[in-house]
Amino acid sequence: MGSANIWITDLFHFYNKKQVSPTLENINLTIPQGQLTALIGRSGCGKSTLLQMIAGLLMPSEGSVRINAHTVTKPSAKWNMMFQKPSLYPWMTVRENAALGLVFSGTYKDKKDRVEELLDMVGLKDHKDKNVQQLSGGQQQRVALARSLATEPDVLLLDEPFSALDAFTRAALQTEVAQICHDYGITMVLVTHDIDEAVAMADKVVIMNHNPGRIVGSMDVNLPYPRDRNEAPFIELKEYLFSEFEKIDQAKESELEQMAS
Amino acid sequence: MSTVTTNAKFNLGQLATTYNKMPDWLQGFTNATLGMSILLFFWWVGGILIESNPDTEAFAAFAPGPALTALWELIGTPFLWDTILSSLERILYGLFWGIVIGVPVGVLVGYFVFVRQVANMPFQFLRMISPLAWMPIAVLAFETWDGAIIFLLVMATVWPIVFGTAHGVQRIDPNWFQVARNLGADGYQMLRRVIMPAIAQDVFAGIRLAVGVAWVVLVPAEYLGVTSGLGYAINDARDTLDYDTLAAIVVVIGAIGYMLDTIAAKLIKYYSWKME
Repeated sequence: MGSANIWITDLFHFYNKKQVSPTLENINLTIPQGQLTALIGRSGCGKSTLLQMIAGLLMPSEGSVRINAHTVTKPSAKWNMMFQKPSLYPWMTVRENAALGLVFSGTYKDKKDRVEELLDMVGLKDHKDKNVQQLSGGQQQRVALARSLATEPDVLLLDEPFSALDAFTRAALQTEVAQICHDYGITMVLVTHDIDEAVAMADKVVIMNHNPGRIVGSMDVNLPYPRDRNEAPFIELKEYLFSEFEKIDQAKESELEQMAS
Repeated sequence: MSTVTTNAKFNLGQLATTYNKMPDWLQGFTNATLGMSILLFFWWVGGILIESNPDTEAFAAFAPGPALTALWELIGTPFLWDTILSSLERILYGLFWGIVIGVPVGVLVGYFVFVRQVANMPFQFLRMISPLAWMPIAVLAFETWDGAIIFLLVMATVWPIVFGTAHGVQRIDPNWFQVARNLGADGYQMLRRVIMPAIAQDVFAGIRLAVGVAWVVLVPAEYLGVTSGLGYAINDARDTLDYDTLAAIVVVIGAIGYMLDTIAAKLIKYYSWKME
């Protein structure tokens, strides 16, 4: 699998022209290849909007997103997104769902083995011929993961993909996905409001604020994989990030109060 | 006396036990046979009543005995098969045009709120008009009787197909489009891999309803001008006072209608993806 640099330059976004403060304001972000980045922030800070722009599902009002040599103007299997809901196709088996990206690009015939290997890797070896409706939520999200990986993406975008799962399955998938991205050198961007998840998966955490949506801080997470969530450095980082997050939030609150008075 | 009663009770109890022990398919088969026997019984009673009343005595051939004998004789003749084939051919043409018009219109109605709101009133209005009410217009507008009949059938089939398709399209999960686009699907692939499989069962549910209405409309439509088909055969049998043949044709109409419905139901089952 290849890897990618993502460049986001001078990006602004308004959902409609009457908006006073932009949904996204002056976003500049460079993500080196193979890095795992987490975008965190309260809901409404525009983090999901930004992710959709990286995926090419939405065009920014101003500025641009580039991945390698391409300016992103449309979706591509090379930079693809995993959503909160697995959104599998219920008329297909596990294998057919996982192979779909390859079917669309017309390369499934040559890469059948790849789909089998991926399904083995995500722990669905015995479920390949089942209908996806027979699987649990965690297993369905694993199928979605295999489907995203089958097209050999340079960039994997995750939009709170584990938030609907139970705690145990969520932790397992967080660890696995981070490991897979590292092993294959995939550049990953994760949107989350879960600080635990951000510290567990990311190399770098980017903090966003709302009204207007902009980047207000970042923090490197220099912990080795696989990460032990009970070790002191992990807990320290988590607490540090939480206090940073609170500081920014309080500053924002007082700023809004000042504006109101 | 008392021994006999005990025996009968015992037998009934045994019968119930045997029934409960039967596999599901055999229970279903037994129940269907029972239903058909009841129908046959009422037909038979009706036949006796007709025969015993001096006013209706002349129609005694409607009874199951003469009708089934006539049916047995008809099955051996090419006349019956030609009649069935020409009726089926008209049904197929009617369904074909119903699908060709109904599915795309249904997709538009289901997909665009604007189209749905514009089309709703006129479509509900047109749907309520009996297809047979179009007969005078059909006769004026089409050169051949066959053309007019097929037009009537299209007027019958198109509405259930439009509404079935629209319902299917409305049920599509918007995330399915996003995921497919995200995986690089083009317009044709979206149609072939996402939209069509997603709506297939609803389209076939519409087609099943359409087949039912079309088959009902076909027979009176074939009273028009044409000299082939089951409707014509009924009219012809009436004119020649051939009542046993007439009843036999009625049986044929019922049997084929049931077969068409079964085929449509099988298709719905085959294309349905919802698991309980």
